[in-house]
Amino acid sequence: MQEATFLILTALADGSQHGYGIITDVQEISGGRVRLRAGTLYTALDRLRADGLIGVDREEVVDGRLRRYYRLTPAGTGRLAAEAARLQAHAAAGLRRLNVAGGMAT
Amino acid sequence: MTDQEHLERAYRRRLAWYPRAFRDEHGPEILAVLMAGARDGQRRPGLAGSADLIRGGLWLRLVPSVPRSARTVRAAVWLMRAGAVIPAVSLVLSLVTLAAMISAGSAGQQDVAQAILRAIGGLVVTALWLWMARANGQGRNGARIFSAVLSGVVTLALATAVGLGGPGHVAGMTVPSLILSVLNWLIGLAAAGLLWLPASTAFFRSQGLEQAQHQAQMAARARFDRPGARWVRQV
Repeated sequence: MQEATFLILTALADGSQHGYGIITDVQEISGGRVRLRAGTLYTALDRLRADGLIGVDREEVVDGRLRRYYRLTPAGTGRLAAEAARLQAHAAAGLRRLNVAGGMAT
Repeated sequence: MTDQEHLERAYRRRLAWYPRAFRDEHGPEILAVLMAGARDGQRRPGLAGSADLIRGGLWLRLVPSVPRSARTVRAAVWLMRAGAVIPAVSLVLSLVTLAAMISAGSAGQQDVAQAILRAIGGLVVTALWLWMARANGQGRNGARIFSAVLSGVVTLALATAVGLGGPGHVAGMTVPSLILSVLNWLIGLAAAGLLWLPASTAFFRSQGLEQAQHQAQMAARARFDRPGARWVRQV
C-alpha cells in the first residue's frame, strides 16, 4: 500500500471527512511532511471507492460549495488494520535489530 | 473580476482534463478543495498545482479504476495493455528504420512506402489495444463484443496466412514478425475469453445499469439548467 493511501485511510479511521479535511488531517498525521494535492487525492479516492474500501457518507453545502464526506467501509477498516499491523511488525523488527547490532536504539 | 473568480475560472479549465462522468460527479467538490487551499490574493493555479490536476485527469482517462472485486476484468484489461506493447515496439522500430532510410538517401520508394505502412499499422493497432483496455475497464458492453469479434477476425486472418504460405513460408511474413503476431493473437484471445466469464458478465451488467442511471440523472439535471449551459458555466 502506498504511503498516501495509508494516510488517507488513517485520516478516515475515526470518522468521516470531506476532501479538504482529509488534506489537512494527512498533513497533521505525517508531521507536515505529506501535503496532498487535489488531483492526487481524488485519483486515490476514486481507486479506494472502486475497491470498496471507502464510501460516501453524506453531502453538505457550505458557503455555496459542495462538501462530500467519505468514510471507511468495513473492508477499508480491515485493510487499514492489516497494513498498520504489518508496518508495526516491520518497524519493531528494525528497531530490535538495531538494538542488537549497536545497542544504540532507545 | 476578483482574484478569486479569476482563480476559480483557471481551475475549472484545468478540470477539463478529467473524464466527463468524473467531472460531473466530483467537479464541484474538487473545486471546493482547490479554493479552500488557495492563498489570499492567488490568481493562478501555479505550475505544480496545474501539473497535478492534468496528471490526475490523464490518469483517469487512460487507466480507469476497475474494482478489485472484478478480478477477471482487471486481468483482461492488463493483458490488453500488455498487448499494446508489441505493436508499439513495432511502431518505434519502423520509425527508426524510416529515419535511417531517409538519412542514408539510398532507399527505394517501395521500401519507404512499406516502412510508412508498417508505422501506421503499428500506431493503429497500439491505439486499438489501449482503447479496448479502457472501454472494457469502464464496463462498456459494446467494447466486449468488439473485442470478441476482433479476436475472431484475427484468428481467421492468421489461419488464412498460414494456409496460403504453408509451413516455413507464411504469406509475406518473416519468422520474428509471425511469432509476434501469434503472441499478440494469443493475448487477444485470452483477454477476450476472460471478458466472457460469468464473473466478468456480472461486472458489465452492473456497470451498464450504473451508466444508464448516470445518464438519466444528467438528463434530469440538464432540464433544470439554462439551455445549452455547459459544465464550465454551471455549478
